[in-house]
Amino acid sequence: MSVLAAIRPDDWNIALFVHVAGAMALFGSLVLVATALAGSDLRLGYRALLIGAIPSWIVMRVGAQWIASKEHVDDIDPAPAWVGIGYGTSEGSFLLLIIATVCAGVAARRVRGGGLRTTTLVLVGISLVAYVVAIWAMATKPS
Amino acid sequence: MYDWLLFLHLIAAFLLAVTVVVYSAVALGAAAPGRTLFVADRCWDVGGLGTLLLGIWLALYLDEYDFFDGWIIGAIVLWFVATGLGQSLQRRTPAGESAQVAAMHWLRTLVVLGLLVLMIWKPGA
Repeated sequence: MSVLAAIRPDDWNIALFVHVAGAMALFGSLVLVATALAGSDLRLGYRALLIGAIPSWIVMRVGAQWIASKEHVDDIDPAPAWVGIGYGTSEGSFLLLIIATVCAGVAARRVRGGGLRTTTLVLVGISLVAYVVAIWAMATKPS
Repeated sequence: MYDWLLFLHLIAAFLLAVTVVVYSAVALGAAAPGRTLFVADRCWDVGGLGTLLLGIWLALYLDEYDFFDGWIIGAIVLWFVATGLGQSLQRRTPAGESAQVAAMHWLRTLVVLGLLVLMIWKPGA
């Protein structure tokens, strides 16, 4: 099944490109946030969340919906597990990203980030683990 | 087997994206700490090796693809171009050659995007 999925109709490719490029930018932005916060650079961490991670999430999610509509995976009942994992991780992580951005923004205005820096790091860490699971689901497509 | 090869190949590609994003921040004027650049450079090293080795393994594993397909040869050429640019960037960044670093970074970003285009469209497959 996965091998068949590797060769797809040409008109699906642009949607898949948008989805994957957004996901890659999102993942990269979150690693930038994590390393910046670990090095106590709160301002860089906050800006990477606001300018990098959240817009990338939107691009990734729009691409996901676009490719899902082309593949008609939303019409399958029950939905395949990998689709559920994809929607679950993306939508759940968006809430975490919003909270992390607010925490990082407040922490960046203080001299010491303290608990807010740690909270942001934990939220970003959870999101990164969720995205690795999502990449696994997209690659292996468990039914 | 195929699923795990593809998963690890994708993880390696996402590590390359980490490097591209971090150096994009630097090229746009952010003062990234040394630790951040160190992580970005190691992601480039591991991601670069991973994408190449796992990509070749995938090409040999699947009957649908031939190692000498045009898109695979093109991807390997782009991989060598990106690797050369990456090594040069790793040398020039500590020296503070910001104009050259930014130019080479954006060129490397275009090459990485070109690799992604080849992986998705697979022209000739």
